[in-house]
Amino acid sequence: MFSLLLNQYRRTLILFLVLALIIILEMVQFRAAIYPGLLPIFEWVKYSSWIGILGTTYGSIYATVEAGHLLSMATIGGVVLATDLRLLGIVFRDVPSETLTRGTHKVFKLALVVAILTGIFCAAGVADKVYYMQVFWFKMLVLAAGSGFVFFIKQPLLNSMPHAQINPWVLRLLAITSILIWFTVAATGRWIGFS
Amino acid sequence: MINELLLQFAQWLEAQSYSQMLLAGYYSYNWVETTHVLTLMLSIGSLFIIDFRMLGLILPNVPASTIANRLHKPMIIGFAIMFITGFLLVYAKPVETVQSLWFRIKMILLVCAFINAWIFNARLKAAAGSWDMDPVAPKNLRTGAIISLVLWCGVVTMGRYIPYDWVDCVNVENPTILWATGCVEQLQAL
Repeated sequence: MFSLLLNQYRRTLILFLVLALIIILEMVQFRAAIYPGLLPIFEWVKYSSWIGILGTTYGSIYATVEAGHLLSMATIGGVVLATDLRLLGIVFRDVPSETLTRGTHKVFKLALVVAILTGIFCAAGVADKVYYMQVFWFKMLVLAAGSGFVFFIKQPLLNSMPHAQINPWVLRLLAITSILIWFTVAATGRWIGFS
Repeated sequence: MINELLLQFAQWLEAQSYSQMLLAGYYSYNWVETTHVLTLMLSIGSLFIIDFRMLGLILPNVPASTIANRLHKPMIIGFAIMFITGFLLVYAKPVETVQSLWFRIKMILLVCAFINAWIFNARLKAAAGSWDMDPVAPKNLRTGAIISLVLWCGVVTMGRYIPYDWVDCVNVENPTILWATGCVEQLQAL
């Protein structure tokens, strides 16, 4: 019974364990303890690493990578809206939601990798600035939560059985959560730009 | 001549109180810009899915016309919001924007993207039914999809360049670039 449960919900259990670990670490003030120690790393990334030097020396390269970041976020947004609005029954009602979610996941994964890589480059160029921004850390948290949500909860659940067998409210909840998470990731990115 | 007219028009816009209010209100400008950028996810995100389908990179087992038709409305809503907010962004900083080389290239790319979209739509309608279930679109539609992707990537990149001052009226001396940027006073001073 226990092993069956462990096998069926392995990814979900891992995610809950990770979340529990984060909460425990927060309770023992682990983040507050390591935060000052991260500053030299951020300063090294900006002033000594090749991505930091490239980003701060060549403004045109930095701006072009920023554009790549925006385009990858736009692609993520397009896939998220198409699949989640389908789960909500707003668009693509004549296309099976299984086909849509499976058929677009590869593009989502690719766009997410590009967004993360270009995001690292963009953050490296202003590493000593983002270190002090609460919104930057909030964005990292939401990004981690969003990635965990997609790869450990949403996709495994949607791939596990025909969507007709899943409670419609669970599908709606998945879609709304997904839209909110990725909208927050994008909006906090803009917020960093203004700060 | 065209540069002088554009500059006069921009100066007239900038003298209007609503333009100054939009720029002076820190949050108003930021909200407009945020909406402009976030709507990329709706407009260009939907457009990319259509283009990827034409190229056979995504959802090959779904009829291409279904993808294009179902995403048409969200895409148009996205573009409508982008144009309104884009106009407001120009309205807030008309002189600076009109004298931006990147803005000018962006506008040219936008016009090219719309001509391409118009041709693409006409070809899509003309070829309706003949290839709908094929995993990859016919060559002329694939070409249109690639041109669309390149042009929109260019539009977004030029939009990202606008805030940077590498090619500003004050730090450029080349007459051709000054003309292309619309630096009327600097050209007259040469």
